[in-house]
Amino acid sequence: MITYELCLLLRVMPKPELTTTLKRAAEAIFEKGGIIRKLENLGTRDMPYKTSVHGAVHKKASYFLYEFNAPPSSLETLLDAYSRDVDIIRRQIYKKKAIEPFECTLNDEILPPAYRKDVQELISEARKLEKPKFSYNSGLDYYPFQK
Amino acid sequence: MLTLLRKITPKPSLVSRVVTLQYSNDAPNFDMENPFEKEKKSCILCKNNIIPDYKNVKLISQFQSPYTGRIYGKHITGLCSTQQKLVEAEIVKAQTAGLMATYLKEPCYLGDPKLFNVDKPFRPHRF
Repeated sequence: MITYELCLLLRVMPKPELTTTLKRAAEAIFEKGGIIRKLENLGTRDMPYKTSVHGAVHKKASYFLYEFNAPPSSLETLLDAYSRDVDIIRRQIYKKKAIEPFECTLNDEILPPAYRKDVQELISEARKLEKPKFSYNSGLDYYPFQK
Repeated sequence: MLTLLRKITPKPSLVSRVVTLQYSNDAPNFDMENPFEKEKKSCILCKNNIIPDYKNVKLISQFQSPYTGRIYGKHITGLCSTQQKLVEAEIVKAQTAGLMATYLKEPCYLGDPKLFNVDKPFRPHRF
């Protein structure tokens, strides 16, 4: 089951209206057979860029984050429903990622180029493309090919 | 003919001297690890065990130019390639979600501490 994150930017409005909008957004998820894991308020602040939607220009927004599970096929209709909601300025759904632990490779990356593994691979790859060449120390005392 | 071959018998005193000769205990141990090996370097995010996230705009905007809003390359940021890829992906995610500015760094983050010196990159610029 994939967990999704829905980032909603809502129009700045009084609290009762805000709750009804949040409930509307949540019910849309429930209608698609999804469940909500988390609802987070990221605060009301100035947007990094102004946005004009539904015939109005917004420079401030209330940020909310839903964490939910829903069938992947329902995401498109969900986003479409939110795009028609006049209180929602912007919406984005991302997969909640779980990154596997990895090793820091900086030490190998700051080595001089000749010692770096990726550079060595490039050189060996380029050597493969070289055409076979006649070596003069092979015992023949003349050049066997046309010059 | 046999008379020409002289039987050599080692002197008893010499034998006893060989037995007493031993290596001193302070001889260098050549199997030890290189004592002059430099400490392994790791990038600032790996060192502090941080995974960048698109919601943490204050962190990822430190890797953005305040003049153009573009992401600094890994030769400037000094991140390992995995972390640099993650940071770049998270910045793009934050910008499309409307959390982060695209053509500038937001003025509220301009006073943040500098993680690296732009004028002194870890590796030379390509221009």
